[in-house]
Amino acid sequence: MAPSATQQVLLSPAELSYLHTSLSLTPPIRPDGRAPSQFRPLIAETGILPGTNGSARICFADGTEAIVGIKAEMEKSGTGYQQSNNLEEEDARQGSNDWLEVTVEVPGLRDDDSMPIFLAAMLTEALLADGEFTKRLWINRRFHWKLYLDILLLSQALSYPLPLLSLTTHLALLSTRLPKLTSELDEDPLFDDDWEASVYLYPRNSQASHTRPPVTLLVMAVKNNIIFDPSKEELAVAEVVLAVSVGERASGEVDMEVDSKKTRDLRLLAVRTIDPPSRLTPPGIPNALNTATGGTAPTIEQAASQREITQEEGVWQPPRGGAKRKLIAALIQKVLEHGGVAEEVLDGLDGVELG
Amino acid sequence: MTSLKRSLASDPYASNISSKVYVRTTKSGKVQKIVRELYLRQDIPCSSRLCSSCLATAPRDASGTLTPFVLSEKPAGTKAYPQGHYLVPDTNALLTALDLFEQTSAFYDVVVLQTVLEELKNRSLPLYNRLIGLTKSEEKRFYVFFNDFRLETYVVRDEGESINDRNDRAVRRAVKWYDEHLLQAVTSAGGKKNKVPAVVMLTDDKDNLKKAKRDGIEARSLNDYVSGLDNAERLLDMVAAADEKREIRNSKTTQNLFPEHYSVSKMQTGVKSGALHQGTFYMSPYNYLEATVSTRAFDKPLIIVGKENMNRAVDGDQVVIEILPKSQWKEPSTKIIEEETINKNENADAEDGEAVVTERERRALREEVKKVHSTVGEGRAQPTAKIVGIIKRMWRQYVGHVDESSMSQVDRQSRKQHTVFVLTMDKKIPKIRIKTRQAGEISGKRIVVAIDSWNADERYPTGHFIRSLGEVETKGAETEALLLEHDVQYRPFPKAVLDCLPVEGHEWIVPVSKEDPGWRDRRDLRGLEICSIDPIGCQDIDDALHARPLPNGNFEVGVHIADVSHFVKPNNAMDAEASIRGTTVYLVDKRIDMLPMLLGTDLCSLKPYVERYAFSAIWEITPDADIVKSEFTKSVIKSREAFSYEQAQLRIDDPTQQDDLTNAIRTLLMLSKKFKQKRMDAGALSLSSPEVRVETESETSDPIDIKTKKHLDTMSLVEEFMLLANISVAAKIYSAFPQIAMLRRHPSPPKTNFDDLSQQLKIKKGMELKVSSSKELADSLDQCVDPNEPFFNTLVRIMATRCMRPAEYFCSGTEAYSEFRHYGLASEIYTHFTSPIRRYADLVAHRQLAAAIEYETLDPAVRSKSKLELVCKNINVRHRNAQFAGRASIEYYVGQALKGKVVEEEGFVMKAFSNGFVVYVPKFGVESLIRLRDLVGDGEEEPESEFDAENFVLRTRGKRVLEVGLFDKVVVRISDVKEEFTGKRKVKFELVKVGGK
Repeated sequence: MAPSATQQVLLSPAELSYLHTSLSLTPPIRPDGRAPSQFRPLIAETGILPGTNGSARICFADGTEAIVGIKAEMEKSGTGYQQSNNLEEEDARQGSNDWLEVTVEVPGLRDDDSMPIFLAAMLTEALLADGEFTKRLWINRRFHWKLYLDILLLSQALSYPLPLLSLTTHLALLSTRLPKLTSELDEDPLFDDDWEASVYLYPRNSQASHTRPPVTLLVMAVKNNIIFDPSKEELAVAEVVLAVSVGERASGEVDMEVDSKKTRDLRLLAVRTIDPPSRLTPPGIPNALNTATGGTAPTIEQAASQREITQEEGVWQPPRGGAKRKLIAALIQKVLEHGGVAEEVLDGLDGVELG
Repeated sequence: MTSLKRSLASDPYASNISSKVYVRTTKSGKVQKIVRELYLRQDIPCSSRLCSSCLATAPRDASGTLTPFVLSEKPAGTKAYPQGHYLVPDTNALLTALDLFEQTSAFYDVVVLQTVLEELKNRSLPLYNRLIGLTKSEEKRFYVFFNDFRLETYVVRDEGESINDRNDRAVRRAVKWYDEHLLQAVTSAGGKKNKVPAVVMLTDDKDNLKKAKRDGIEARSLNDYVSGLDNAERLLDMVAAADEKREIRNSKTTQNLFPEHYSVSKMQTGVKSGALHQGTFYMSPYNYLEATVSTRAFDKPLIIVGKENMNRAVDGDQVVIEILPKSQWKEPSTKIIEEETINKNENADAEDGEAVVTERERRALREEVKKVHSTVGEGRAQPTAKIVGIIKRMWRQYVGHVDESSMSQVDRQSRKQHTVFVLTMDKKIPKIRIKTRQAGEISGKRIVVAIDSWNADERYPTGHFIRSLGEVETKGAETEALLLEHDVQYRPFPKAVLDCLPVEGHEWIVPVSKEDPGWRDRRDLRGLEICSIDPIGCQDIDDALHARPLPNGNFEVGVHIADVSHFVKPNNAMDAEASIRGTTVYLVDKRIDMLPMLLGTDLCSLKPYVERYAFSAIWEITPDADIVKSEFTKSVIKSREAFSYEQAQLRIDDPTQQDDLTNAIRTLLMLSKKFKQKRMDAGALSLSSPEVRVETESETSDPIDIKTKKHLDTMSLVEEFMLLANISVAAKIYSAFPQIAMLRRHPSPPKTNFDDLSQQLKIKKGMELKVSSSKELADSLDQCVDPNEPFFNTLVRIMATRCMRPAEYFCSGTEAYSEFRHYGLASEIYTHFTSPIRRYADLVAHRQLAAAIEYETLDPAVRSKSKLELVCKNINVRHRNAQFAGRASIEYYVGQALKGKVVEEEGFVMKAFSNGFVVYVPKFGVESLIRLRDLVGDGEEEPESEFDAENFVLRTRGKRVLEVGLFDKVVVRISDVKEEFTGKRKVKFELVKVGGK
């Protein structure tokens, strides 16, 4: 789904063509001078909302900003109390997808607008993809936590806000803590009243890497150039836009050998192609068809058919058709590869102090 | 990007702001994270009179006055602290030894830290309330220092620090601050360094002591500190059985004698889901191995058998139970088992080889079980249960005496610490193990003890000595013991209460001028021929009566009640005190008043020949005792005469007396008889409870004689009109305030309550007891007459009364109208109105009635349903306690009156067990147990017995052969004996023969 029309960048076909050309160079030249896999600088902090179980805020250098607050509420799972003392069933932990509720609020958009709903769905999907997340919300057979993720975009969405929201959600989840359970088995839960004793939803140990919530990254391609963290202008000429959700699994058996560097066990959780906004841009008209430049104006049918085949340099043509499989594979590869972008992002996020 | 978090760096007041984060679980089960900001201050005073800097900055109230500083400038010194010292106890010190802090010989100038106070509140509410009481008393100089709000003493919890460690650190920080602060205060005022009082932290926590030493803070353990005081031995006993012992135990890891209690959450879940049940634990007064728990879920209480199943519950505790499988159900015991006979001669010091169930107990239980098995076929087994946890301990202070048998190896002279057992006066409480250094001194005395703990590895609860009341069987000690046991407030009225009395004191009179505000809306009834009729020697005269014929042939009858609500205004100290006391308690030789003497016996009392304010109910009544109209008014009356019942009776019976007053009493008597008949026709019960009067010598109040109370017509005269007034008032206040009227009801007893009695009557006497309504019950009780035995009817009535449920006060909004009924009086609605001097409920009814007749507006305190409910709850308890205390007092005096005498009297068998029976002697109104082994002489073998539970007959063989059945008349020899277990002097019955004299 494309962002709605109001978010369109108002660029002329000539400008679009210019952008497209510079992005297709090797190496591509991005309008803000970044390298293809370079992210825009961002500032992040967590724990900004003291009343929530976890919260985070991320601010991109271009001024887009998002806040995520997470509240947990205890809910009955619906099974009655049976006083059974069989302890063997440790893996009785069963999550359910409706234990998570994500709402996205984008200023200027109604909450039933397609964009926030689509964004929320994508974030939810990534979170639920591995089926492990909801198990963390299990308290006992009769009770579970229900998690409310409130994602709030503070600024106008200058670029497609998915990565921003995803990274903020990621940090908020990392900082989320749940009260410590003091009761046992299937009793009505009782909790330690000391907040300091509460436990992280994603417990960390400093030694090994640990499971973390997923991040969803936006990748685009122009010709064969793969560009990360596209800005709004870049999206306007993208040929393929992909949202890639990546999770990290706790590496239980890290090979202790040569690699003293931490290796991450990255896993692909979800991929979604996003209809690039460039498809809605107006096409440029080649000189041959432009009366102003001495061309002859074609009939309407002609114009359509001519445009299909025009390969003329400098004339903007909105991209047509789907992405090539090879390209998608390359995109995903680029994200997941060792020392790739996902690792870089996660490393960067690791640097954020949680509090 | 600037951070959105509150930046503390730029804020000049940043250091004053802190925050507290915690998790709260709400009642509805929600779990919330709570964040509170904390604004730290620097103007919270140290409250030491030595300090002038705090005095300058301490906050003042709206009128600019300052709370006076509490801590003395010259605190008492000890050997270790000759310069004087302030005490700062930590939470555990208060938990284990609050009794110490209540002493008058030491423990002055105490700083109670907010941290400690809050922790104490969470741990034990009763102790917290006692501590609050201490902080309010001016002479003890306790000061609550809000250390968590003062900048210098606020402590942020470190990472990984437990909350207890944090609190300990907060205490140490506060002590240190006090120390430095005082030093500065004294030196800046030019004082010498060695004059600065020491600030001493009291703690029993070893770790805390060590840390205090490291930080250079003066700290002592309780034992250490108390040893340095005068009469240390007495005080040391009050330190609760401390942890030293526990530590030794832990190292030994003795195995538990009792099952561990469930965790709170497990109990709650179980109770909610219906797998477990919550209820109140009641010990059986006859059998210490049997108890009952009444729960909401079942009509009848469940039986708990054996100590292991009781699992350390003490009478009155709120417990959680689990029902045992049907195979373990049993019928209630028909045997009397007393702890003293089974577990005699235990050594309190011996801890090894203890078992919960001693061999002898096992044998007793086994016999029980055998019997059950033989009768199981008849399906009389009842569900039993075991206790799995205790929700709330209802431990209080207990009165008892030291078990002499546990003192056998104790050297009475030595000051060594001994462990002894204390036997409580209340048989339902297990013996309490205490440690004492004054074993010799306290033996043979009535002492007050408290239970501290009962761990799973202890056979008996551990407690500590609080104070001695005096020699056993001295009047002072016994009376105080009795009041303590029944939780009667007997301390003198505090000054705040006495300040509420009219300033004129005994000089107060009804204002002469009718312009006076006291006369507003008051009717002048001084012209009426009013008199009062009360028991001999009554000083607090609540009620007076009048009657006069009207021209139309009807009568005007007035009931005039002392206008207490004029003197006791809602919400002042006197009202609060009265509502706590709830009722006046009458003992044989003593009266513990609800209101100060000045009001009770003078200003409110409707004494003869003087003008008094009254609240009058006036009716027009036809000669057939139908009420034509009724009205209520505040009034001024002048009683013509105060009669005793006997005097009034004589006057009526004397035909020569033809004056107006006597004739009025005759009219009242005539009407009262008609009222009574009507009530009886409606189904009112005339019940009976043993009532005896102890005549005492006027000077020493030593008992001389015991008499059963005689019934006079004049008594029922007064009673009828009081009932009439109560019922009319109840209807009036209910119609005015349907939600909040203070009423009294007597719930109809469940039919099952009468099962045993009607079965017994049917089998033994062939009589039938109909219980479907109070009318039927009244009629069938009238039928229960044994022509040869005039007392039999009374006996049945006494037994029937015991099957009833107690009447109770309630707030009309909490029950449906159909539940208002007073079963015993067969009245639809009822309240108490006629004795405001001695009952708080009446006072509330007065206020409501005054508002109902628009004499005054209803005070908000009387208008709030929730507050009224609390008042009702309290006065119900107080009322019952007062009755028990009164009965216990009579029992004590009966015992004293019989001291050294031996009398033979007729009695009746009220209850039969397999190894004994209960005999009731109407002459003295006492009942007592005769056990099988009492039938024979000392040392002789107990006769074998056979109890026919179907026919309620006990047959014995062997040394003494006899057959005793229920309701049988027996002759008993009554002598007095000091009960070893409770230390009470009690009557002892010996069976002389079965049959009449």
